[in-house]
Amino acid sequence: MIRVLQRQINRKQNVLVRYLSAQPESEAKESNVEQKILKKKSSFISPEYRFQYQEFLPDPQHRLRNSVREALERKDMLSRRTQIYIPEFYVGSIVAATSSDPHSQGKTNRFLGICIDRERCGLKANFILRNVIDHQGIEIKFEMYDPTLQKIEVIKLEKRLDEKLYYLRDALPEYSTFDLNMEPELIPEGSQVPVNPLKVQLKPRPWLERWERQELKGVEDINQHLYDKHRRLAAMRATPWEKYDLMKEYRKSIPEEEQKKIFSEIFSRMKQINDEHKKNMKAKRSITKPKTLA
Amino acid sequence: MNAAEVTKLMSELKVAVKPRHRRLKNPGGSEGRLINLSKTVTALLKYERIEVHYSRGDEARGYAERLISDAIRYGDQHKPTMEMADFWLRDKSVIHKLFKVLCPRFENYKGSATRMFMAPRSYNLDNKDVLKKYKLLSVLELNGNPYPPVLPDRSQKNRRLIHNVLLNEARKEFYLQKQKSESDKDVNEEIVTKHPVENINETETK
Repeated sequence: MIRVLQRQINRKQNVLVRYLSAQPESEAKESNVEQKILKKKSSFISPEYRFQYQEFLPDPQHRLRNSVREALERKDMLSRRTQIYIPEFYVGSIVAATSSDPHSQGKTNRFLGICIDRERCGLKANFILRNVIDHQGIEIKFEMYDPTLQKIEVIKLEKRLDEKLYYLRDALPEYSTFDLNMEPELIPEGSQVPVNPLKVQLKPRPWLERWERQELKGVEDINQHLYDKHRRLAAMRATPWEKYDLMKEYRKSIPEEEQKKIFSEIFSRMKQINDEHKKNMKAKRSITKPKTLA
Repeated sequence: MNAAEVTKLMSELKVAVKPRHRRLKNPGGSEGRLINLSKTVTALLKYERIEVHYSRGDEARGYAERLISDAIRYGDQHKPTMEMADFWLRDKSVIHKLFKVLCPRFENYKGSATRMFMAPRSYNLDNKDVLKKYKLLSVLELNGNPYPPVLPDRSQKNRRLIHNVLLNEARKEFYLQKQKSESDKDVNEEIVTKHPVENINETETK
């Protein structure tokens, strides 16, 4: 009942805006009404949206910006999300992705691993899952809006101390091994995403990258692997002034006003999708097998 | 690089930002560039109007706007903002000015905090040093500064100014007199060119 009333109110507001726009005198009034509607919408948008739906924000590089293409991409992303539920997960979460495979039995292939990176934005958004299977480290890059991707399950939702976990390639294999048939761990709804303060031990050199030059918080006692030469060269290459470069961080980011505008566009559809998913999950849980025979 | 950085929230700058930064010739590298620009930003916030080379002024403008918008958003109790102000403002009294004077001034401001004008370029042939660098100067100022405006006030029409009124009237008088003298000249010419006898005969016959 309340939902129907809300819809009616929204419709009336829209009619009001249209009526006002027909009269040139009351242009100021129309903009006020529109601003109020936008403010109302943006007040529903939580500050976590920019982390959860980061791929909806465009690439801040000026030469790649195209408002029409971005709007069309967002539309396509939302329509794909109605087909497959893409849950909230971060780098450091353990995720199982099921993609279609024509050559396997059952035509699907499920891979479970820790998410070490989430790259790109828009329809190109992807994530890399890493696992060690039969003593062989394996990484698979999945594209989030790939139509052959059938299901994404979050086994364990958590964050790590770093934003990218490429150092797991040079860490001891135990830090990258996860049981392929792990049971999902559920977190109570509305709680903050836990940060796993695990510090990883690296294998001795040679490494794939110079981990001492990257300020990694998730690596334990990196000094034991370093000689003086490494420390000296790392100090030489360090750029401590970069954190003060205000324009550099501005050019790499999307300002808050634009973020709000984008999220207010997708807010109502996302809410619908999330509500439907919750309904489906509840329906599944309510089905229980009878314990006693008739 | 391909995804937007979202850890820090920042307000949109109300100033045109070029897609790439300018390196600004300096021997200190990228660190030296920031140190030199911090001197310009300190001077801008301290004196509220500075004359500076165009490219340096344009770069410093972005940093000044970002510093002011961060100070407004986070305030002086926020540690990272205080560290940023400490780096960018060499003169520590200007940090106090930023949070206590400039933040309340620009909090509800609709436009940008800074304004930039192109200054006249002087080509002084007597001064050899100036000859070497024909500087593209600009004036960079904070909005709401106490000085008289850089550009003259064009809100009043020029025609109302007394000297323009007198000049217009003088111009009208001049043209009236000119027309009058020309028409007199024409009449005299007509009388002189035609034969006086013929004229009398014509009139008599009619």
